[in-house]
Amino acid sequence: MGEVELSCLAYVKMYLHACLFPRCSVNGLLLSSSPAGGAVCVTDCVPLLHTHLPLAPITQLALTQVDVWCAQTQQRIVGYYQANACVSDSSPTPCALKIADKIAEQCNNAVLLMIDGGKMSPDYRVPPIVMYERKDTRWTLKDKHTIMLRQWEETRDIASQLLDSGDHSLLVDFDSHLDDITRDWTNQKLNAKIAELASPANGNV
Amino acid sequence: MRDKLRKWREDNHRNSEQIVDVGEELINEHASKLGDDIWIIYEQVMIAALDCSRDDLAWTCLQELKRQFPGSQRVKRLAGMRLEALEKYEDANKQYDSILQDDPTNTAARKRKISILKAQGKSAEAIRELNEYLEQFVGDQEAWHELSELYINEHDYGKAAFCLEELMMTNPHNHLYCEQYAEVKYTQGGLENLELSRKYFAQALKLNNRNMRALFGLYMSASHIAASPKVNATVKKANVKYATWATNQINRAYQVSYARKKFNNRLKLSENMVVVDVVSKPNTTKWTALSKVMINSKH
Repeated sequence: MGEVELSCLAYVKMYLHACLFPRCSVNGLLLSSSPAGGAVCVTDCVPLLHTHLPLAPITQLALTQVDVWCAQTQQRIVGYYQANACVSDSSPTPCALKIADKIAEQCNNAVLLMIDGGKMSPDYRVPPIVMYERKDTRWTLKDKHTIMLRQWEETRDIASQLLDSGDHSLLVDFDSHLDDITRDWTNQKLNAKIAELASPANGNV
Repeated sequence: MRDKLRKWREDNHRNSEQIVDVGEELINEHASKLGDDIWIIYEQVMIAALDCSRDDLAWTCLQELKRQFPGSQRVKRLAGMRLEALEKYEDANKQYDSILQDDPTNTAARKRKISILKAQGKSAEAIRELNEYLEQFVGDQEAWHELSELYINEHDYGKAAFCLEELMMTNPHNHLYCEQYAEVKYTQGGLENLELSRKYFAQALKLNNRNMRALFGLYMSASHIAASPKVNATVKKANVKYATWATNQINRAYQVSYARKKFNNRLKLSENMVVVDVVSKPNTTKWTALSKVMINSKH
């Protein structure tokens, strides 16, 4: 199928989400602000849960809320990501497949992204992600060559920097939002911080 | 600093990075002033160090404890945990087996063995062992909760519900168990389960009126019941009322918190889900009565 591009913002937030809750499985949605058709460009992500991923009510609620927010901000839900608590097994769980199926109903080129915990060591060279796409009714591994991360080195450095400075605790997922509704699950503050680090003024193109 | 560590110990917080920071400093600089407290601090810091992959610190603590308490089962268990952290599961199992040989009632060693199964991804075996454990140690709350989590991950919602029922029986005032039970019931689906889930979300709210998950859960379960073709008009009307009430409470909660934070964005609930028949005015003085009605409702 088509190409998928993963933006710095989306990658960094997913990575920080997984790092913030190292003992739990975490999941979230992948969003795109580009129009449908052609390559899928994942420009942002919304971290969702870190507890009870297979349970329905909060997942349904989160999907609805994100949908509404996307409509207001001209974005679309184009995928789903998950990081399993068990480092040795990064294959999609039944609940991951279910949610990804639901997303695929609305978006033809939906992607399912699993974060490979085993590859997340401090000196990792390749993005610790495995992507799946929908062929007929099954989710199959996507060809690595169709996945693009622009400025991977810079992205990786930004992620490490934020982790080292403890800024990953700024990340709010939907679960945290429900614990304290004043916290913003759209993560505007963190987005701004990441944009600042990624801007040309910092030497990144 | 001692007091902080004590508080975290008593509340069973898993803030391992903080414990390592505070504990390491305490041990290195102020060991002489700690007296007998130092041993329990060594234990706490060791476990936190294992959680943060600080094997150097964990090893130091373990050595001190071994020196002070040679032959102790408790220290043996800590040695086992260190082996687990290094993924030497065979050796860890041998360690726990030797503890159990000396003392077959040692619950800590049994639970560690089950944790090893979980870490290795052997959920079915972990579930089986945990069930056997609970047959003997019926009152172990954390074990029941762990079992419910294992069942949820295996999508065995019926059995997860059973575990949560055990927890609710022994902890009737815990709103979190009620709310989790309601979520499991909701996930199971079907009209009967939805109604049960609505009742337990209401119960959770009665126990803690600020539980947002319960409030959203109430809204969603009531809306689904109202939208179901299998219910009669009275039931439909009642559930619409509950859903509308929940919507108002939710909006109010956001308004209040955003006013406090001077936040401008307002999240609106999708109106597709609610079949809005009657728009009732928010009436907080009567909410406890209303939630009682929901729980006792025969609908």
